[in-house]
Amino acid sequence: MSYSLKAVRRVALVVSAAALLSACSDDSFDPQSQVGADPKLPEPNQYLFPPMHLASVVGWKEGETPTVAAGLKIEAFATGLQHPRSLYVLPNGDVLVVESKAPPTDTIKRPKDLVMGWIESMVTSGGDTGPSNRITLLRDADGDGKPETNSVFLDHLNSPFGVSLVGSDLYVANTDSIMHYAYSTGDTKIAAPGTPLVALPGGPIDHHWTKSLVASRDGSLLYVGVGSNSNITENGMEAEKNRAAIWEVDRATGRSRIFASGLRNPNGLSWEPQSGALWAVINERDELGPNLVPDYMTSVKDGAFYGWPYSYYGQHVDPRVMPQRPDLVAKAIPPDYALSSHVAPLGLTFDTGNSLPQKYQGGAFVGEHGSWDRDKFNGYKVVFVPFSGGRPSGKAEDVVTGFLNGQEEARGRPVGLAIDRTGALLIADDVGNTVWRVTSAAP
Amino acid sequence: MISEDLQITAQTARPLIHPLLLPFPVACLVGALLTDVVYWRTAEMMWADFSAWLISAGVILGIIVAVLFLIDLLTGRFAARAAPTWPYAVGCLISLVLGFLNMLIHTRDAWTSVVPWGLALSAATVLLLLVTVWVGWPFIFRREVNVVAREIDVVVMS
Repeated sequence: MSYSLKAVRRVALVVSAAALLSACSDDSFDPQSQVGADPKLPEPNQYLFPPMHLASVVGWKEGETPTVAAGLKIEAFATGLQHPRSLYVLPNGDVLVVESKAPPTDTIKRPKDLVMGWIESMVTSGGDTGPSNRITLLRDADGDGKPETNSVFLDHLNSPFGVSLVGSDLYVANTDSIMHYAYSTGDTKIAAPGTPLVALPGGPIDHHWTKSLVASRDGSLLYVGVGSNSNITENGMEAEKNRAAIWEVDRATGRSRIFASGLRNPNGLSWEPQSGALWAVINERDELGPNLVPDYMTSVKDGAFYGWPYSYYGQHVDPRVMPQRPDLVAKAIPPDYALSSHVAPLGLTFDTGNSLPQKYQGGAFVGEHGSWDRDKFNGYKVVFVPFSGGRPSGKAEDVVTGFLNGQEEARGRPVGLAIDRTGALLIADDVGNTVWRVTSAAP
Repeated sequence: MISEDLQITAQTARPLIHPLLLPFPVACLVGALLTDVVYWRTAEMMWADFSAWLISAGVILGIIVAVLFLIDLLTGRFAARAAPTWPYAVGCLISLVLGFLNMLIHTRDAWTSVVPWGLALSAATVLLLLVTVWVGWPFIFRREVNVVAREIDVVVMS
């Protein structure tokens, strides 16, 4: 969610009045016109009943898998997980699966929060059947796609998301702090308690709570994504302090600074392999209509401001923010590549392996968790954006689909992505409670 | 011998039920206008949140009053009243509809939950309520005594 969203179980919630109000623009508009460097941006619309359409959760039946593009093969790498949201591959090939739940509900400030809380209470992301907020280690030593070892690596975390290893220093981004742990190659469990490196904005309001994490190439700095505390400042400006930004944290001292700002909910922090630039996927704002504002991926420049909350895609001013800041709007830079509206990108990884088909090498995979606030679903798939010379060089194409079944029920929803030691693409599916592994179809 | 005469009787109306609760939604909606104005002047979200609560409470209480109004109507408590009740009833109903629309406007996020449409609807609701209550004042808050003159037949025995 862009709303820190889980899916609704057995509830297809369509506010029909909303459908009536929004149907006209929704049907005639091609979401594909909002993919690429220069998205079509319709006029903003505000509604009495904003569109809302959530996919009921049915899960994966035995033997069912998502559908992959030609030349690829997909298999379940691990099942029965608890809301797997992000993935990290250790140098020895062990896969860390970050299983995480949203922190306790946002403070109820308005009647709307009550109603949204009620909707979310029907939401279980495919079943709340056990403990989460932990990291599970999967080891597939023989590389056959079937891990032999499955071990709880770290437990009792606070809504963790990002993980990064520098030498023997392992960092886990909880929702309220970056924690440090000592790691030795081959560890399947860390028992020692961690030490905090730096506190991050957490509660009492903790709206966008996933803290994505990546270490600089030389290992001296950490970059962490800190999402906004609201859709569009409705929890007050004070709640947004140091949020909607990517922080740069000095690993030795814990000192931090804002590296880039105006990024509503940045996730999937990754290094583009050719240029060495930092890239991220960003969830843009809701409730301006089914086709606004397109979520995007972008290179993140030092000191840059990307608009939130005052504007989007450069100088498109958002009327809901007061006081306005024309000075900041003037310096807002448009992002590099739009991914279409409300697709909710939460995972990004570049294909740095060499086992997937040639066309994917060096390009970006994006995990799109899927829409909840437009009548026609958007996202619910993994797409591929080709890159050349460090820039996107073509239209995004579907790589993994079928997370929605024919009745538009959610069997799963993709979140975090990673490339494993063999070069296969791993996909965390937090509704299907599965990690999927995509390999080349040709052996 | 038969003669005609007039009999004068005094009748007190049975009290209405709905005015018991009427002040509560009215107070909520008037309060919402005040908090809307303060939000408009300060852009401090706390005031917009107050407005959203007040309008939601106003609408819910307004629906309860409407139910009591129907009970008054169906049990004939309006029947003996002199002042016309329909302008009052229609005014109340439109206020409730405006309040409901305003409740939806106030679910928007931040500035446009109030400015301009939320504030405008709050002001329109309060204005309409003022007029409506003024129209209805004679019979909602005053115990009326109706004087009824009827022709009766009096039989005089000679």
